[in-house]
Amino acid sequence: MIVLRRLFTGLVVLWAAATAAYLALIAAPGSTVDSIVGDGADTPLIRAQIIHEWGLDRPAIVQYLDYLWRAAQGDLGRSYLLQRPVRDVIADQIGPTLSLAVAAAALGVVLALVLAVTTRQPWARRVSSTAELVLVSTPPFLIGIVLLSVFSFRLGWFPVSGGDGLASLVLPAVTLALPVAGVLTQVLRDGIDRALDEPFAVTARARGLEERAVLVRHALRHALLPVVTLVGWLFGVLLGGAVIIETVFGRPGLGQVTLAAVNSADMPVVLAVVVFSAFVYVVINTLADLAYLVIDPRLRPATASAAVASSPSSGSAVASSPSSGSAAGSSPSSGSAAGSSPPSGSALRSSPSSGA
Amino acid sequence: MRRRSLLIAVVATALAAGCSGSGGTDSAAAGEPVSGGSLTWGIETEPITLNPHQYAQAKARLLVWNNFEALLTHDDKGGYVPWLAESYEVSPDGLTYTVELRDNVTFSDGVKLDAAAVKANVDQLLADGYAPQVAAVQLKNLKSVDVAGPLTVKYTLSAPDVLILDFLSSPQGAVVSPRSLKEAANLKAGGPDLAGTGPFILDRYTPGQELHYKRNPSYRDRPAYLDEVTYRFLKESSVRVGALTSGQVQVIEGVPATDQAQITGNPALTLSKGLNSGSAYSYYFNVGHAPFDDIRVRQAFRDAIDIDAVLKGVYRGTATRAWSVIGPTSPLYDKSLEGTYGNNPERANATLDAAGWTQRDADGFRVKNGKRLTVRLVQSAPFVRDRREILAQAVQAAVKQSAGIDLHVSVVDQGTATAALEKGEYEVFDNSRADTDAGAALNLLLASTGAINRLGISDKKVDDLLARGQASGDPATRAGIYRQLQQNVIIDQALIQPLYAPADQIAASAKVGGLGFEPTAGVPASAYNVWLSK
Repeated sequence: MIVLRRLFTGLVVLWAAATAAYLALIAAPGSTVDSIVGDGADTPLIRAQIIHEWGLDRPAIVQYLDYLWRAAQGDLGRSYLLQRPVRDVIADQIGPTLSLAVAAAALGVVLALVLAVTTRQPWARRVSSTAELVLVSTPPFLIGIVLLSVFSFRLGWFPVSGGDGLASLVLPAVTLALPVAGVLTQVLRDGIDRALDEPFAVTARARGLEERAVLVRHALRHALLPVVTLVGWLFGVLLGGAVIIETVFGRPGLGQVTLAAVNSADMPVVLAVVVFSAFVYVVINTLADLAYLVIDPRLRPATASAAVASSPSSGSAVASSPSSGSAAGSSPSSGSAAGSSPPSGSALRSSPSSGA
Repeated sequence: MRRRSLLIAVVATALAAGCSGSGGTDSAAAGEPVSGGSLTWGIETEPITLNPHQYAQAKARLLVWNNFEALLTHDDKGGYVPWLAESYEVSPDGLTYTVELRDNVTFSDGVKLDAAAVKANVDQLLADGYAPQVAAVQLKNLKSVDVAGPLTVKYTLSAPDVLILDFLSSPQGAVVSPRSLKEAANLKAGGPDLAGTGPFILDRYTPGQELHYKRNPSYRDRPAYLDEVTYRFLKESSVRVGALTSGQVQVIEGVPATDQAQITGNPALTLSKGLNSGSAYSYYFNVGHAPFDDIRVRQAFRDAIDIDAVLKGVYRGTATRAWSVIGPTSPLYDKSLEGTYGNNPERANATLDAAGWTQRDADGFRVKNGKRLTVRLVQSAPFVRDRREILAQAVQAAVKQSAGIDLHVSVVDQGTATAALEKGEYEVFDNSRADTDAGAALNLLLASTGAINRLGISDKKVDDLLARGQASGDPATRAGIYRQLQQNVIIDQALIQPLYAPADQIAASAKVGGLGFEPTAGVPASAYNVWLSK
């Protein structure tokens, strides 16, 4: 039942995304024929041939329905610009983008965890906060060029680009991970601060636990929930950032393909990328919902199904985040109290807004 | 003349036909040609398609000629010489072109080159939906193509058209294995599936990253020097330069003016430049409505600008000024136009006063009947290169300051640009074309029926000159005809503001020899003559 409902919501999201992209492309000035003609010779005869070849003389609604029908059967069409099946175009580019996104996300999260935990001293905190702000507000383009200049052109530690092996992944992944780490660290630190003021932290200290243990074993766990809530945002950053990273580093990937497709109104490719992005978004948010259950055991027995079903697959994960449950005031790890305390809806104490 | 090298001594070597016509430039450091080695070349633009018939990007020529060849090629005087052809003959009425093919040529898939293979290529080009632009423009006067013998191809035209030779030497005229035409998985996209006759074989394509060619061991003439050559797509110019200076690539093309000092200042690197043929980068005035329907306003616009100063400011002295719509390296270029107009603010102001634009508004722009002297330039972002948006701003400042003309510049997406051009919502149209025969470019730009005639002119004299220029096979006669044409559109009618001659740059490690530019086209040549000294 839950699975079915989830599947249905997912399909609705995919359809909505495809339709929105279709409408946007239709609303854009100029026509598809203009884009295919491009910079080349432009005569009525050429136009007629192009229109005939791609069936562009059919009403927009017919083209749209035709597209949906074929997409439902797994046929994404051919790229106007590249003259290849869209499925091939995407399949060629998905690997490099995925490895970049995964590497950057992992690096960003690890970096954020380390920074948030190790910079508790007031002075370290100030230094780190400043660095985070600088990273968040520096264009990734510039970060990439600086990293390249130092570590590739000057020191020669890493190659400038390419998809060959781990070495070529390091600089692009770091470039993309730094701003991500900047935001995540601030959110994490905020969460830890609040968690350490909670009664369970006092209890833990009273039991004689060292401050470091309180931090790592109890507070960090609480602070992680808002970070999980941010994965949707994280995915957006990674995909958007990929466009720039791929340009700077000369890497293959979806970003470049998408940019070129949007520039030339290459409808089949744009639609495929949008639908694909929506699909990944749905999957990631579902995984995030499951992650809440892992991190916060209180959500598991009674409320698990409700949590999964109610969490929407679109962007507003923050509002509906079951992390509000953590406001109950007791540590998930502090025994029986957790199970009995009802999730109080009082405050979104772990709201990540402070970091974003 | 058409090759300029800043650091490299130019050694034009007479090469066997089949070398994509490239003369070589080589550096003293690279020494004598040696065989072997792998070269990596950082290029700016990833080709949209690897099928030569679909070629539309000048930046793709250096790739095309690695694995494909055409029937003819250019010599460095702008003439045509046989390549895959043994010889060619034109009938006295200019309607029949008979080409004899070489008989020792094999495609890399083992198929032999013969007249039937050439005909199969032309048939494919004319096939519905395959290459509408080639069919409608380059082959519009082709009546039929016939196999007149095992190695003899006969082209019959419906009207005399010397530009058919340009087609036979262009990438669109390159000969693809007839087996590939039938069997390639994605024919229009091209790729390793498509077999050609060239000195290299494309064996790997990673979209977004690189193209890899290996030497064709059974090439009929001297095999290429390099074992393999990899073209890496590096879109950012600073990254290309950094990759070269750090030795990660041995050659790059597309070196912006701001980075050239970094290359010339390094003794381990070389920089060379080739001026493109075809039409110069120019502003075309839309004479379809006010204010450019008045020749005085057009003259004043040109007189208001000191082009040399503008180019110096934007390109730091690396750009070559254009005086005509035809590029200075073309054999059709009329040199007598140099210095005949422009940079005369007094005259610009006097002309505008005479044309009735006597008032000025609060911002200092000229006004007539309550209307400001505004002209709009709409640039399509995907085609803006060479910092042309900055150049436009410099021109904007110049015409404002010297004559009170309001040049309104907007850089927009392609759809918006096309819409504006179709509705006539512009007064200035900017364009340059890299056609090897400037006549081909002018047909598109200036003819009444021209596909990109954005001037909105329909001028009998211009049409007549263009037709005669396309029909005449004698180089001297042709040059005379195009001289008259240039005098007409530049001096008599002031229809165009030529700005600069687009150029290609190659920067390389001094260990690389044999780099050069294609004669006539002026774009980087293929890797056939390139070697890497040990």
